[in-house]
Amino acid sequence: MGIVTVIEAQGLTKKFGDTTAVDNVTLTVPQGALFGLLGPNGSGKTTMIKMLTGQVRPTNGQATVLGLDVMNDPVGVRKSVGIIPEQETPPSFLTAMEYLAFVGAVRKIPDIDEKAAWWFSFLEFEDKRDVLCKDLSRGTRQKLMFAQAFLHKPVLALIDEPLINFDPIMQRKVKEYLSDYVQSGGTIFISTHILEIAEEICTGFAILHKGKLLYSGAISELADKKQHLSEFFFSQVRDD
Amino acid sequence: MGLELFTCMMKEEWRLHSTMFGSLSFALFPVLIFGIVFMSSFLLPLFRVVLPAGDLGLITIGVFLLLGVMVGGFGLLGNEVMNRRFGQMSLLAYSARSLPLSERYIFTNFVIKDIVYYLFLWVLPFVLGFAVASPFIGVPPVYPLLLFASLTMSFLFGLSAIFLLSTVYSRSKTALAILFTAVLVIAGWAYLSYGASLADLFPPLQLLRNGTYLALFLSCILVAIPFTVSIALFTPEYTGTSKRFSNLLTPLTGKLSFFPTPPLAAKDIIDLWRSGGGVGQVLFSFLLPLGLIWFFLSVLRSLVPDYAVLLVFAVTTGIISATMYTWITSFDTFSSYACLPVSVSTLITSKICTFTVLQLVPAVFMVIVTIITGMVLYLIPAMVIWGAVSFYALSVSIYLTGLTPNILVYDVNVLLAFLVLIGVPVMVVIALAFINPYFGVAALLLGIPAFGLVSKGYKRWEGKEMASF
Repeated sequence: MGIVTVIEAQGLTKKFGDTTAVDNVTLTVPQGALFGLLGPNGSGKTTMIKMLTGQVRPTNGQATVLGLDVMNDPVGVRKSVGIIPEQETPPSFLTAMEYLAFVGAVRKIPDIDEKAAWWFSFLEFEDKRDVLCKDLSRGTRQKLMFAQAFLHKPVLALIDEPLINFDPIMQRKVKEYLSDYVQSGGTIFISTHILEIAEEICTGFAILHKGKLLYSGAISELADKKQHLSEFFFSQVRDD
Repeated sequence: MGLELFTCMMKEEWRLHSTMFGSLSFALFPVLIFGIVFMSSFLLPLFRVVLPAGDLGLITIGVFLLLGVMVGGFGLLGNEVMNRRFGQMSLLAYSARSLPLSERYIFTNFVIKDIVYYLFLWVLPFVLGFAVASPFIGVPPVYPLLLFASLTMSFLFGLSAIFLLSTVYSRSKTALAILFTAVLVIAGWAYLSYGASLADLFPPLQLLRNGTYLALFLSCILVAIPFTVSIALFTPEYTGTSKRFSNLLTPLTGKLSFFPTPPLAAKDIIDLWRSGGGVGQVLFSFLLPLGLIWFFLSVLRSLVPDYAVLLVFAVTTGIISATMYTWITSFDTFSSYACLPVSVSTLITSKICTFTVLQLVPAVFMVIVTIITGMVLYLIPAMVIWGAVSFYALSVSIYLTGLTPNILVYDVNVLLAFLVLIGVPVMVVIALAFINPYFGVAALLLGIPAFGLVSKGYKRWEGKEMASF
């Protein structure tokens, strides 16, 4: 049985006026990978995730996620995957608990109270469950967004900057969770500019710079070459 | 420092609007006002045949008072509304967190900026349009100056009065309820005692009619007192306190289970309620404007039958009711739903459902108005006209602006299209109702174009990128 591809992008391009945010990117992500999309600020990582989740329409090219065309069936894609956007956006006037109940109702998730309780406990924010989202700290909002993305146990989660607002203790906990998730058959696609995270948990990675894909491969390939990810990254993104 | 902050806030406001719908399109908005007023001024000799100049002045003053009320009602409820207005955006209004400037100081600049901004956006183009036309219609040169002063004062009074009420609201909802009730009781008593001539006591109107320094002085006092008191009473709300609420969404979703998207509708209602919008919006953006409109329409009673005034009021109420769509779309953008399997058309459907629930407020209002004016005989045409116009105007808003009616209303092309699409059928309905009040029931036919506009709106906005703006 061959490797199942969960994300497949071919010649994906996005232009905003005269600016090309993503330029002719071809990329595949196999099932069971913890794949990191790496790149400096403004390299097109967020636009790439937005295209893959049907939030932004590509100017050229095509992409499928879990076999669904992101342009023709964006709602179907979002139904199947979990998404954590770069900017945390839980609705201001719902409480944390209400937001998870809201997500549960929209996604038709059974036993939402028990599942929400598990997440409050796991991410250690039970004391915030009845507080309005607008009054939550950045870190707590990110915990909430993290919980909503995994509430329905998706086979694929796309996460934009997954750990940026977490403290070191929570970072470790979440990294362990992501690794376990992949071990149990899930696929994680993260975008980040923090190379240490990628080196520590990713199995595969791609480097995006100024909208262009510079490299795509497995982390193990670097180990074979006895090269650190950061060295390799800087050698790739160095301006000519 | 004050001038720098003010200048930066002005630039920020301009860039906020121009980024949303293009610099040229937004820059043309005052030009559009100028053009409409300039051309309308040539119709003044015709208007005077049916409407005395004094009544026309009264209506104009009333419109600008209403404008001030609506601009004031839109914002200035302290941090809560700043959050609602600016969302997650980082604006100078928040700079107290990073700059050595007090909340009150920034807030004062914010208020002055809004005053100047909207004067340039609305009042000045209006007066200039009239001033340029005035030599051709035999109006004395001093009259546009008087018009400018009186309209400015009327606008500022509306703004400052709402500003005061809003500030009181941010301190104590009970105090606001007492103040609002007192104002209503006094206004009601004065209206019953003096009738429409009560308006003659309004200093900006006296200024327009008589042009005396005393009227100017009284107008200034009328504006200055609420502004001063409200800035003095201003209190920054974000003091770190966070209220706790039990889960309201789940039971509400159950109660709204007959809707196509119960959780989305439940969220909209909770947003409106917890933001203070439920009570505040009804008071400031619905009851107050309609109260003023009823007052100014009452001057027409000497010219047209009573039922005609009621039915024109039903049309106006329908249009104002349709603005409730802006209430329920002001809390989130589509990006809030970007991580969920929700399409734009699903979201619009949900907003229509929430809008329908909210129509209970104007429905009850219209019944009460019809009863207390002794025109129960015309209840059916009044209700049909109100409902048909409201839902038709909603469909126009959906087609033209999708999920962002708050910002696109300042796009000249959209505004023109809105005025034409609403104005033409509404005029036909009014004409029919004037011939025979029961002919107004024909407004039900507006349901056909409304259905078409919503269907086209779905397709139109589904195809556009709504992730952010």
